[in-house]
Amino acid sequence: MTHRPLPPGRRVGDWEVTAPIGAGGWATVYAGRRAGRGEDTADDVALKILPTEGLAPRQARKVAETARREVELARRARHPRLIPLLDSFVLSEPDHPFLDGAIVLVMERAERSLRDALRGGGPTETEAGRIVAEICEGLAHLHATGWVHGDLKPDNILLMADGSVRLSDFGLATELTGDRGTHGYAPPMGTFDYLPPERWKAPLGEHGVTVRPSADIWALGIIIHQVFASGTSPFPGATPVSRAASTQEYAEGRAPLRMDGAVPPFWRALAADCLAPTHSARAAHTAESLLARIDARQDVPPERAGPGTPPPAGRRRLRIGAAVGAVAVCGVVAAGWSYAVRDAGSGPPADSGGNGRIRVFNVEEACQDRKDRNAECSLGLAIDPQRPYTIDNVVPTRVWHGDVLAVDCQLPHGVPIVDEAGTWSAQWYRVRLPNGSAQPTAWLPAVRTKDRPGIPGCPRPTPAR
Amino acid sequence: MSGIVVHLPQGSGNRPPDGSGDADGEPYGDAVTLRLGPGEVARFGRGSATTPVELRLVDEAISRLAGEIRVTDDHWQLSNHSATQSYLVENPEGAGEYLRVPPRRAGAPIPFEFSRVVLPTRGGSTVAFQVYAPDHVYLDPDGAGGPWEHRTVTAYSLDETATYFLVLVALCEPRLRDESPVAVPTTPQIVERLRGHPACARLTARAVSSHIDYLAEEKMRIAAPAGAETGRGARRNGKREAIVGLALRFGLVREEHLALLPPRVGTGAVAWESAP
Repeated sequence: MTHRPLPPGRRVGDWEVTAPIGAGGWATVYAGRRAGRGEDTADDVALKILPTEGLAPRQARKVAETARREVELARRARHPRLIPLLDSFVLSEPDHPFLDGAIVLVMERAERSLRDALRGGGPTETEAGRIVAEICEGLAHLHATGWVHGDLKPDNILLMADGSVRLSDFGLATELTGDRGTHGYAPPMGTFDYLPPERWKAPLGEHGVTVRPSADIWALGIIIHQVFASGTSPFPGATPVSRAASTQEYAEGRAPLRMDGAVPPFWRALAADCLAPTHSARAAHTAESLLARIDARQDVPPERAGPGTPPPAGRRRLRIGAAVGAVAVCGVVAAGWSYAVRDAGSGPPADSGGNGRIRVFNVEEACQDRKDRNAECSLGLAIDPQRPYTIDNVVPTRVWHGDVLAVDCQLPHGVPIVDEAGTWSAQWYRVRLPNGSAQPTAWLPAVRTKDRPGIPGCPRPTPAR
Repeated sequence: MSGIVVHLPQGSGNRPPDGSGDADGEPYGDAVTLRLGPGEVARFGRGSATTPVELRLVDEAISRLAGEIRVTDDHWQLSNHSATQSYLVENPEGAGEYLRVPPRRAGAPIPFEFSRVVLPTRGGSTVAFQVYAPDHVYLDPDGAGGPWEHRTVTAYSLDETATYFLVLVALCEPRLRDESPVAVPTTPQIVERLRGHPACARLTARAVSSHIDYLAEEKMRIAAPAGAETGRGARRNGKREAIVGLALRFGLVREEHLALLPPRVGTGAVAWESAP
């Protein structure tokens, strides 16, 4: 996506651009600061702009999906090692083709990425060890909260001004589902150098490829090698394709794992466990268990480990404690952000998504194409969004994919609903029912529409009975 | 990187002119399919007890060890062990495009996704086998410029100039055009739809089925759809629907690809446009 860079001082929502940072596949990133606070305000945020204008509907949906994953994860898995999302919104700037409809994610600004740090010669051994430990902390939290990052790489590991680590870029993050929350499904995407060997043979199912936490552990193994070996991969080859082929040779037992001599023995053993050739062999090594090993081996400065406190826990608690303060400040801002991701593919904005109307979305593809209002494709509306969404909590009126409903207001925290594709939301919309219905209004779960109309919050509903 | 597929068709290598079978008295001409992963090697030639080969080509004119194939990166290399004969590697979809691999050439990189390796025989006829390299990497269309080394990419890339891609677009066309939303075109419908395309004038129903199988099994690695046990017809249909659903869902086929298809009959202006 090419466009003229936004000039410094350009206002984007409540924020103002100060300088360009970089451009990736779908997004352009700018440094910015809160608008109207004067020149001397620190430009301490990153504005990630994902344009949707000019994209075909399906591509726009892909972009919106990326943003949705980021927003969803940021909301539900906050942690000092994950980059906090301060704000997210959709721009409406009809005079500016690049910005109109663009999704903006506002994040805490990092000093540089681990990739930048590796380019600059790589961290010292002590630094590298701390960075790996902090990556593990972030991963352990992510996995414990039921998410897989899905695209862990030095480009997505940010270093703050104080050197601390933040994981970022959750556009491919996947929520674990299944009976025991062991796996999730992600779009068939990734970065060659960090894909686990099983991904090259993974079948593509209806919801994408199966992704498990062990995929992040594999990527971590590559990254451990890189931070100690000036950025080089443990797998030989001049190009990512060639290294992917070497990875496969190793996984199929035709080539040994040859790590760089610069990687110290402890980290070499850790990386080797992360790089176990199969998912099952790798599954024994969780981010939590790796972190415990790292903590157990590190010398802890005496003033940090209190008497009787196990050194590792003490060390970690102290470090996190400092960062929590920063997050609490951000939390004040974060409470105000709206979950506003417009989907350019859901139809002309004139008849949905605006003016208090939303279009019903049924994630079942077979139902999207039917026009016969088949009962199997019908969707329900709740009487009370704060009670379990069961058969005795639905109105008789049914709705179908493509129906446009009048919407009054939204409730951000009702009963969480997960749709058939694993999309999760606790948000509900109060919609008006046709005249003659038993009740004048009912509630549509936000997962049943792609529209995110700018409508007021509902007064907290009184329990239905 | 999952490797390559080598296929020696049944009865490959024309029967020697005298009508005799294999000199070693082994069964002659069975089809062979080999799957090779990165770094793996397959030798081909007439073979013998002391010169084992993975791919036996039965012809007196072919050396016991005629050459070898090695999987490298996302492609493969051909070594020609013959001291006198050149081998040809044809691209069946390349409108006559081919490579000549001269005698004693070691590790010639083969750039085609589909190849037909042709070895000359004494009678002026040829022996041939096919090699598919489905791992060929393509960059995403929406990626910005600059180095792609560290970029997040779609791990299922398709050659948008290949016949299989035309078949895929034709399969997806009704859904992309938002018409007849449930039905996925049948094989005869695809043949008919692509007839006007210069590359598909001689496309047969059987070829379309092979392209669909190749897409499902080698390119997209489609997981068996639920309820696949309900008979062969249903399974075939399920496979097509799965291909279409996934190709659209993950953006492998998009609206702009409709332009690759020949103009639709009955959409005006078309008929006389091509007239002299």
